[in-house]
Amino acid sequence: MRNSYNRLVRSVLCQRIFLSVGCAVLVIFLISCSAGIPVQQEFQKVGNDTIAVKFSIVFIIHGDGDYLYHDTSGNKYYADEEALAGAKRVAEENPLAEVFIFHQKPTSHFLFFFPLRDGEFYYYRNGRLIANELYWRDQELSNLDNEVKFYKTFCADSQPERVNMFLYFGHEIPEFGGAGYDASYPDRTFTIHNLASGMKGFTSDSSKFDLLVLSTCYGGTPYTIGMLGSYARTIIASPGNLHLSYFDLRSLESLELSLQDGDVPAFANRFAQQSFDRLIWDIQTAVSVAVYDVDSVQEYLHSVYPAYENTLNTLREKKKSFPATNEHCDCADIPEYTLPTMNRGVDVFYRPAIFGRLKNKQNHSGWECWKN
Amino acid sequence: MKALIAFLSIFMMFVLAIPVNADGKTELKQYFNKAADKVKATENADEKREILNESFNNMSKILDKVLSSELISESDYAGIEQYKAALQEKQNELTGSNGYQRVPDAQLNNFANYVVQDMEQADSTITISVIALILIILLVVLLL
Repeated sequence: MRNSYNRLVRSVLCQRIFLSVGCAVLVIFLISCSAGIPVQQEFQKVGNDTIAVKFSIVFIIHGDGDYLYHDTSGNKYYADEEALAGAKRVAEENPLAEVFIFHQKPTSHFLFFFPLRDGEFYYYRNGRLIANELYWRDQELSNLDNEVKFYKTFCADSQPERVNMFLYFGHEIPEFGGAGYDASYPDRTFTIHNLASGMKGFTSDSSKFDLLVLSTCYGGTPYTIGMLGSYARTIIASPGNLHLSYFDLRSLESLELSLQDGDVPAFANRFAQQSFDRLIWDIQTAVSVAVYDVDSVQEYLHSVYPAYENTLNTLREKKKSFPATNEHCDCADIPEYTLPTMNRGVDVFYRPAIFGRLKNKQNHSGWECWKN
Repeated sequence: MKALIAFLSIFMMFVLAIPVNADGKTELKQYFNKAADKVKATENADEKREILNESFNNMSKILDKVLSSELISESDYAGIEQYKAALQEKQNELTGSNGYQRVPDAQLNNFANYVVQDMEQADSTITISVIALILIILLVVLLL
């Protein structure tokens, strides 16, 4: 009798434990899909008592890929996590700024079947975190549509003297093809056209970003600068390989001091110099950082566009028939790109690799091309 | 017992929800980083050269085995060949062959860092499929 009573009690207890645990799992699952901070309520609460926004900064940090790197002591880092930490510091250290951070993360699943959100959005205003929400990235064609929606929801009223910046962190953005850029979506393509479309969404009122920082490898090509130059006045990019420790973001902290005079091109040069100095400190591979004054480089871009487009068409065809990987080189090494206007509007910070075939190459034009 | 099963189920759910970052490219990067750590840990220049040379030879053997596999695609073949060529260039520079000046003894630690950094950059620009990467991981783990 006592045994059957004990069994009954144990069975009821187990059922209750199982039910409680099930409920807990469901609650945790639902929480994992929701925002870190209830967005609209918090936004409305601070909306009226904020200080004027003099700087508006958008960070897109791509993390859906292989971003592991090691420092010279052998410590390992993930480039996207480091960039995210740097972006948050910039956001917290700028009381006169609004900062949008979009962290594009690899897809993960709950219980094999339930996909979890693969993007995380942070919105800071006046140094305070106002919103933090998980979101779905574009599932097919990627034109940063979902990121643009967040931007339009939160963006402070535009003021004539406000400085707008856009920073992208990730691997080299393909100029054609583009499949496999996201490890989670190997069939989806992402190219420089998609980034340009996304930037167009952010600047829908036909204004341009004052500064675009392209923290990727091979950003300084005539095609990429030409494409993104429609949406930015000044661009900082690396024409060669860029180490995954990326550009130094410390120049962006305390913008009210470092950009007091509002001279964005001069600030861009200081940013590039500081990034270059930090990179050459412990990087043995080539380091190149270039600043492009978009208006001043237009003549050169128009001159070389037909040749570059021709090369891209050849590479597209070649890739269809034989999937070889193509190589880059300094445009100055190709006669048809070596024009008198080549250096106009470009400031280049360059140091060759300490080892390798190109260790004696002392200069770089600031423009990277495809080897024919 | 049921409670234990429930607890383990929950634990597994959280484990499965963690994004899988550990892939073959990570394995490749850590391989060269470990070699660089060993180079910096020794004072003897000959030993440093031996460690680097051995790491190049072992990786070349692994890549050859992967290349001879019927499982890999044409694009994998091209990507792995390019990776292997980059490796060969570094080995040539270490030994001073094929037109390279031999890396001076005093520069071997920096050269080890260069190998890590350059292979990490090369790794991001070449496309190697999951199957080829799994083969590489297996060979790195089993043969070394």
